[in-house]
Amino acid sequence: MRKYLPWFQVLAMFCLMLAAGPAWAQADFDLDAFGRIPVSAEGRVKPLDSVARNALMMLSGRQTVDIDGKMQPAIRWLADLMGHRKGADDAPVFRIDHPDIVALIGQADSGRKRFSFNELRPHEEALLQQAQQAVAVKPAERNLFQKRILELFANLNTYWDLSQLETPYVVPPLNVDEQWRKFTDVFAEFQRTRKIHPAAGQFAGLLAAYQQQDAAKFNAEVAAYTTFLKAHLPGEVSKAGVEVSFNRAAPFYQGTLLYILTFLVVCVSLLLAGLGRFRAAGWFRNGAVGLLVLTFVIHTIALLLRMWLQGRPPVTNLYSSAIFIGWCCVLLGLFIELFYRNGLGTLAASLIGFATLIIAHNLAAGDTMEMMQAVLDSNFWLSTHVTTVTIGYSATFLAGFLGIALIAVGVLSCFIPIDPRHIKTLGGMIYGTIAFALLFSFVGTVLGGIWADQSWGRFWGWDPKENGAVLIVLGNALILHARWGGMIKQRGMAVLAVGGNIVTAWSWFGTNMLGVGLHSYGFMDSAAFWLTAFVVSQLLIMAVGLMPLPWGRAREVAMPSQSRGA
Amino acid sequence: MSKSPETPALWRRVLTPLASLKLTVALFALAMFLIFAGTLAQRFEGNWTIVNQYFRPWGWPPSKYFVFIPLQIFAPRSIPLPGSFPFPGGFLIGGLMLANLLAAHAVRFSLSWKRAGILLIHAGLIVLLVGEAVTAVAQDESQMTIYEGSYAQYAQDIRKSELAVIDPTNPSLDTVVVFPEALLRRAADGRSQTAGVGGVLSHAMLPFSLRVERWMDNSTLVGLGMAPPELKATNPATEGFGKVALASPLPPVTGVDTNMPVDAPSAYITLLDKEGLAMGTLLVSLNLDQTQEIAIDGHPWRFALRFKRDYKPYTLHLLDFTHEKFVGTEKARNFASRIRLVDPAHNEDREVLIYMNHPLRYGGETFYQSAFTQGQVGSILQVVRNPGWLLPYVSCLLVTLGLTVHFGYMLMRFVGRAR
Repeated sequence: MRKYLPWFQVLAMFCLMLAAGPAWAQADFDLDAFGRIPVSAEGRVKPLDSVARNALMMLSGRQTVDIDGKMQPAIRWLADLMGHRKGADDAPVFRIDHPDIVALIGQADSGRKRFSFNELRPHEEALLQQAQQAVAVKPAERNLFQKRILELFANLNTYWDLSQLETPYVVPPLNVDEQWRKFTDVFAEFQRTRKIHPAAGQFAGLLAAYQQQDAAKFNAEVAAYTTFLKAHLPGEVSKAGVEVSFNRAAPFYQGTLLYILTFLVVCVSLLLAGLGRFRAAGWFRNGAVGLLVLTFVIHTIALLLRMWLQGRPPVTNLYSSAIFIGWCCVLLGLFIELFYRNGLGTLAASLIGFATLIIAHNLAAGDTMEMMQAVLDSNFWLSTHVTTVTIGYSATFLAGFLGIALIAVGVLSCFIPIDPRHIKTLGGMIYGTIAFALLFSFVGTVLGGIWADQSWGRFWGWDPKENGAVLIVLGNALILHARWGGMIKQRGMAVLAVGGNIVTAWSWFGTNMLGVGLHSYGFMDSAAFWLTAFVVSQLLIMAVGLMPLPWGRAREVAMPSQSRGA
Repeated sequence: MSKSPETPALWRRVLTPLASLKLTVALFALAMFLIFAGTLAQRFEGNWTIVNQYFRPWGWPPSKYFVFIPLQIFAPRSIPLPGSFPFPGGFLIGGLMLANLLAAHAVRFSLSWKRAGILLIHAGLIVLLVGEAVTAVAQDESQMTIYEGSYAQYAQDIRKSELAVIDPTNPSLDTVVVFPEALLRRAADGRSQTAGVGGVLSHAMLPFSLRVERWMDNSTLVGLGMAPPELKATNPATEGFGKVALASPLPPVTGVDTNMPVDAPSAYITLLDKEGLAMGTLLVSLNLDQTQEIAIDGHPWRFALRFKRDYKPYTLHLLDFTHEKFVGTEKARNFASRIRLVDPAHNEDREVLIYMNHPLRYGGETFYQSAFTQGQVGSILQVVRNPGWLLPYVSCLLVTLGLTVHFGYMLMRFVGRAR
């Protein structure tokens, strides 16, 4: 334990630094308490803080906003918007990337990417005309400009609905038979009956105080409303509070940094080992494993919190699949590290952990804990089929990354006197991981078939996503059978395992891009570019692996007698 | 394998190459490519067309076991890429896999812990392949639409149509003569063997015969007022709806449309008297949701082109249909049909609830909540008859057991060695 101690100290400091985060100077208005107020949006009860972050993420691609020259948190922007603070519409929250649209609103020379509502308003007619033309084109045939125009229009709608209190539904159910309601509906009712809804009245009061910029009154109103809500909806209030803490801690962001740190440390360890500095290498390896374990704990807690907040098994959409694939890979990597104790498991685990969290970050558009279509809304099948098949994906990725490591070690061994036994060890790891992957991907795929049989009467429909899953099964089976038949050895297995990365990436994302079938829930554009780039990179690695390089020669030159014995 | 110097038995010499692991690996690679191509092709054609072309092609001569894969599927739509190449289809690859597997076990059969897991896995795979073949051959899918407060006693196959000729004169029972789509299409092509020369269809119960003038696999109706004059002038119809609307052909529906439309065939049919003289031509179409009544010698006859019907010996009454959404969204939370199942033959009369992921299994068929009707409140159930539905479950059990045994065995050995 003692040998890990210095690392934990470094780590603790690092975490403290991150957790403190940038200080949001909001001395007067208690926006923190405002952000904890539970509301209902997209079918889910969540804190206003999440509404603000998700909306801002959709509109501007980040969770902070420049208000009067100072970066402010999303909740400040939402308070401005809902409270109709003077100047609220000057916040540059609409991110516009397409140069033609920037030109359309007369900002071609501004050099900016984000524009305010007030800057867009004068061009309403021109934008509306373009949107009407775009909407007449079939979705599949729209060009980039048309897609972007419609996105901007959807964002304007989101903005407008927020400012008019159309969304989220802020009026809570006070009786068992009630549901969350729109503020505007309750207000219309008030105008008819002249009876004030207790919750809506208080909410209107705190917004009015904000509009008058009366901090003391606002804070008192928020506190009173929170007390009122606690009495009626204690569960929702405490859950919303936890979600705000979760948002603020941004555990997956921290995890990304820690994974890359782990990766760097383990690289240093491997390099030192390659240079024969085994003591120092061991020290760094221990440090890296310690870091990985700690990051994994953070990852796990965050994953469990998400599951608790959503009341769902880990995987419900593409975003959560990335989080879960990363988690499984790191767990498997830790197991491999436990058995082999040579840093290679940590290397692959930290790299995949980092990559998947980056992917997740880029998939996070809007609420990542969104509700699901009725047919997918089944905890039993989500936890069996989806979880199992995702573990299969994870293991296939891990095998692929171990394959990359094997190829890297092999190529490096031409120049650096690396112990050639690493190649054999990595070969063993890849073999074991693929066997594991085959087990889970097969069982997961068949469970998917059984779910399909249960829900629409077709065990197998040759839907793109189903085909993707079976491709992974076949790919893994192919590698194992080729190995059993002696057709490939370690190098061949590594090259094919890297090919497995392509198959898995295709099944994970490529099938969604076709826009066909029941599974196409995560259709994306920009991801197509990254998928292509990834496939090309993997093909290059495979080509490098196949190059007739003299693997292990450096060591033979350095110590000819020993290497023959090994 | 034995290294005995004697010549091995003939069956062994024949089976050994078939049992080769190289063949296994090659078949895996072929299957992967086929599935990949079959996925890409779904951008261009309907799922069922692809399934039949890529995964289930068969017939005589043997070339029918191959699929011709167009190069276009590998390119974006904007880059036209003509040409295609033959590739073994699903049945061929699957069949070879089965042969390879059976041969391997025949040649290398032995009972041991090391082999037990593998044996179970492969037994499960055989069941899975057979199950898929049974499904391909024997599965029947149809739809049942029931309106709230009403009942249904038949399911309809929305991929096939039929021409119904109805005698409504008996007030308690309609007499119906039905001509399946395939017969109508062949008659229109004028190649009908069973129906006599010139594509004429007749039936003992009908005092007239039918000549199919024109058949359209998919079509739309255009009001005669809006039709171009040259089409109006050649309108073959002289009776019924055909006097106010024209049918014009459409290309068959592809599966890329997410709202899953279906083909709506139309046909022009001429009624002939006993001497073979034309009495009038009418338009029948799936786009029409009413029957057309025409009097022949003072006797009323009704005509309808409709989805192929399958009458059941029981009825399903829709008591209540509910469609829940998530608060503040258009996202469906649940669909549910409360149904009364009445089967006099089996003395059954009970209520069942069919909802997402909870189908009703009855009379060898399974009823799934599939969709709902627009306008009037009604529920659409998917009705599936698949005699092989249990096989994937059996397979899943066998393979999971086998994989667990096998990898458990390997892990024990590995841990033992590591210690």
